[in-house]
Amino acid sequence: MKEKDKNKDVLVIGAGIGGIEASLLLSKADRKVHLVEKTSYTGGSVIKYEEVFSNMECSTCMVAPIQQELLQDKNINLITLAEIEDVKGLPGNFTVKINKKARYVDMQNCIGCNACFDPCPVSLKNEFEEGLSKRKAIYIPCAGALPNVPMIDTENCLRFNGKKDCKACQEACMFEAIDYNQKDQKIELKVDSIIAATGFETYDLSKLSKFGYGKVDDVYSAFEFERLYASNGPTEGKIVLKNKKEPKSAAIIHCAGRDKKGYCSSVCCMYSVKFGHYLKSKIPNIKITDLYTDLVIPGKSNQKFYEKLKKTKVDMVRASDIEISKHTNGVSIKFNNANGKKDNLIVDMVIIAPAIEPRSDASKLAKVLDIKTDRYGFLEEQKGNVSSVITSKPGIFMAGCVQGPKNIQETVAQANAAVGKILSSK
Amino acid sequence: MEQKIGVYICECGPNISEKVDIDKVIQAVKPLKGVAVVEKFKLLCSEDGKKFLVEQIKKHGLTHLVVAACSPRDHEKTFKEVCEKGEINPYLFQLANIREQCAWITDDKNEATKKTIRLTKAAIRRVRLHTPLEKKEIEGNPDVLVIGGGISGISTSLQLASSDRKVFLVEKEPVLGGLVNNFEKIYPTMERGPDLIKEKVFEIEKNENIKVFTDSQVEKVVGFLGNFEVTIKKIKEEDNIQDFNVGAVVLATGSKLFDPIITPKYGYGKFDNVITSLEFEKMNLSGKITLKNGKTPSNVAIVHCVGREEKGYCSDICCLYSIKFVRYLKEKIPSVKVSNLYSDLCIPGKTHQNFYEETLGKDIEFLRSKDIEIAKKGNNLEISYNDENNNKKKLTADMIILSPAVEPTIDASKLAAITNISQGNGGFFAEEHEKLGPISTSTEGVFITGCAQGPKNIFDSITQAEAASGKILTSLIPGRKIEPEIKVSQISEALCIGCKTCLTVCSYGAISFDDSKKISVVNEVICRGCGNCVAACPSGAANIKHFTFNQLYQELMEAVQ
Repeated sequence: MKEKDKNKDVLVIGAGIGGIEASLLLSKADRKVHLVEKTSYTGGSVIKYEEVFSNMECSTCMVAPIQQELLQDKNINLITLAEIEDVKGLPGNFTVKINKKARYVDMQNCIGCNACFDPCPVSLKNEFEEGLSKRKAIYIPCAGALPNVPMIDTENCLRFNGKKDCKACQEACMFEAIDYNQKDQKIELKVDSIIAATGFETYDLSKLSKFGYGKVDDVYSAFEFERLYASNGPTEGKIVLKNKKEPKSAAIIHCAGRDKKGYCSSVCCMYSVKFGHYLKSKIPNIKITDLYTDLVIPGKSNQKFYEKLKKTKVDMVRASDIEISKHTNGVSIKFNNANGKKDNLIVDMVIIAPAIEPRSDASKLAKVLDIKTDRYGFLEEQKGNVSSVITSKPGIFMAGCVQGPKNIQETVAQANAAVGKILSSK
Repeated sequence: MEQKIGVYICECGPNISEKVDIDKVIQAVKPLKGVAVVEKFKLLCSEDGKKFLVEQIKKHGLTHLVVAACSPRDHEKTFKEVCEKGEINPYLFQLANIREQCAWITDDKNEATKKTIRLTKAAIRRVRLHTPLEKKEIEGNPDVLVIGGGISGISTSLQLASSDRKVFLVEKEPVLGGLVNNFEKIYPTMERGPDLIKEKVFEIEKNENIKVFTDSQVEKVVGFLGNFEVTIKKIKEEDNIQDFNVGAVVLATGSKLFDPIITPKYGYGKFDNVITSLEFEKMNLSGKITLKNGKTPSNVAIVHCVGREEKGYCSDICCLYSIKFVRYLKEKIPSVKVSNLYSDLCIPGKTHQNFYEETLGKDIEFLRSKDIEIAKKGNNLEISYNDENNNKKKLTADMIILSPAVEPTIDASKLAAITNISQGNGGFFAEEHEKLGPISTSTEGVFITGCAQGPKNIFDSITQAEAASGKILTSLIPGRKIEPEIKVSQISEALCIGCKTCLTVCSYGAISFDDSKKISVVNEVICRGCGNCVAACPSGAANIKHFTFNQLYQELMEAVQ
């Protein structure tokens, strides 16, 4: 085969910040990119954050322009609601089989006016909002989602569950965008190389019975709190307790699940500091207590960010053996302090920062790609190589938290690095 | 030539048509000067809509296009492509956002219609003043200058050099390898540092596309992405100067350690056997860990966070290399007692806690401490410190290793000035964007990697080196021309009073001063159209193309009348 006829396409798995950055960069070098995303939207975890440390930049404002660029880029073939089923072949010539679920809404015809939501008779918990708000069976996860095209959740849509005559959404659509006859598709692609950028999940706090998560009111996970603060979230950014009142005190608990995982998740201290800034910006008089083990704020900019928060009088308490329970005046936290003595605290709101862990389907992905995972379940770097983006199999690279816990800057650097590896391979 | 403006109003299905009286809008804008045709259409962004617009442009011989529809975020690009198909310059187009800004924000049809008329009129008034802008293309040199021959510069060079791309690697020391040359082992893999370097230097030496300049420094870097003129000089030879051209510059100049002499409480430079981490690395590499008197130490203390307070940041790597030092010590002197005095144990990432846990063992302690002072006591050294509960404690040791903060190299300021980039927190080179642009800088074509950007470990330095190559391989492609920004600043020769204000506010070094004419001149290739100079210019001489003062003024006159 002549060099110029060779297939140089790249498969990128995951349309979070790592996948987006890698795809856009590859496109600049005129590589055709197939970007496969499991959900109906792009932006991954980063679009759930209202602001990012340490400049407190608005996260959606930071990401929306590149999400838009992605959708308009003719070199990038975004395949949403899709999962990789099978990968065969060698570097330079992989054959990829993809299962793409039907969206039941036509991407070309839909203009994103949202007229189809109201008439839908189904009401469900919105997973994107951590269940803190409701959605319909036809929905977009949050305002501003891109592509701004809804999907039908066939597990809950009446029409797909016996009530064949419901066509409320179709009747509301003026653009003939809703197509109940769409079918799931099997797509087969040939690609030169692959980048896995599927991100992370957080440790399930209900596994830590002493933390009272899911049992005690006003105990929130980090993601729940992000959505509570988000201006496009369930409360439009108003921080409120379950009784709709504003909290007067809050505790932020670091390192939840660290013992169980056996590693420091690297970003929790920093986003906990960010949460402090969130709370103080909305409720200046709120009393904040951080219960932590070791303060991990490495790098040239992070300590400054922490010191700025410290000036607003936040209590930093080194604590262990934390137990959370219901109290008549709010939430009770019992712990051992730095002296090893028992101590306690009663607050209105508790926010828990859980460990970052591999996605539940990471091992499945590794199996499909025929690459190795490490003892923690993250994708493993190639043995004997000092590159953090080379997997155990030539031609397959990785970027972001699929390789291990890291912040956005490090994820972007890895995405750029994976592209560098692909373009420099002779 | 007579202007023939076509105005097209999108109904966006019911989205605009139900909230805005479009016929009223048509009546209002029809009589305006230059308007040749006004029409409405059901959905202009659809395939039918785009075809309709192209046909209209041809049919009426339109010179300008105004579309009143949705947010430019959604479809500005769509309609600019329509212009190209209809063979009018895409800059002779204006989009009025009458959906998000009119139809969707009120239930009052009357108000929405009024505002739609204003915004559409404003777009028409603006488009009259538009001028066609053409894409520019310039040749780009694919070669790269890498400054700094440590692990990051070496990795960058190896990944970039190819038959159609030369790399010039400049190192101020006589040999390549940088700090890693001193590390017997690197954490957490405990592979040998010098071997890692040796292997890579060997690859560099046999690579005919990499030209190495040791004992050399960069004197001049002038230009822009694709076209930098570079001068380098042999450090010890006055006249040994070389000039060449490159398309991109990578600063991989690494870091140095905070000098503990600045903080006398550690007794560094005053007492024997108080040494820095780098001195300890070198001692360990030589094969023998000894005290000044030649004896083997039996009691070693490692003090973390030296200089952290003074610098105002955590240096990221000190906890981990201090843990590595415990391993060095225990391997060479199994009976040695090692105490780590630390504030917070900073061991982020998936592998590091395990590295720490596997290091723990007999006669190894980690003591949380603050207010450390080191004094001499007899033949030994004594550390006094406060524990976490503010209890005064003492500890004796015969050797104390200080783990000082990581800081920029001495020449960082000079190099920042030469390459026209800025220094950020801690004096490290400032990245273009904290999250999305960690490798690029405010000067397009100048990149930063490794500890020059901020304290980091070897793995992260290599990742950044690979990332820099990713950036360069996608922006400087051999045989492909570079397209600079079109909407750039222009400074009127007639209006410029030569006050040089614009030179001080330009972040990109795009403005220079013409001494003969006594006016400022914009280099259109470097300018990114940020508008700083426009805002600062006291005489109104600076303007951004497509956002000229007059264009904005006329648009506003209609919108806010």
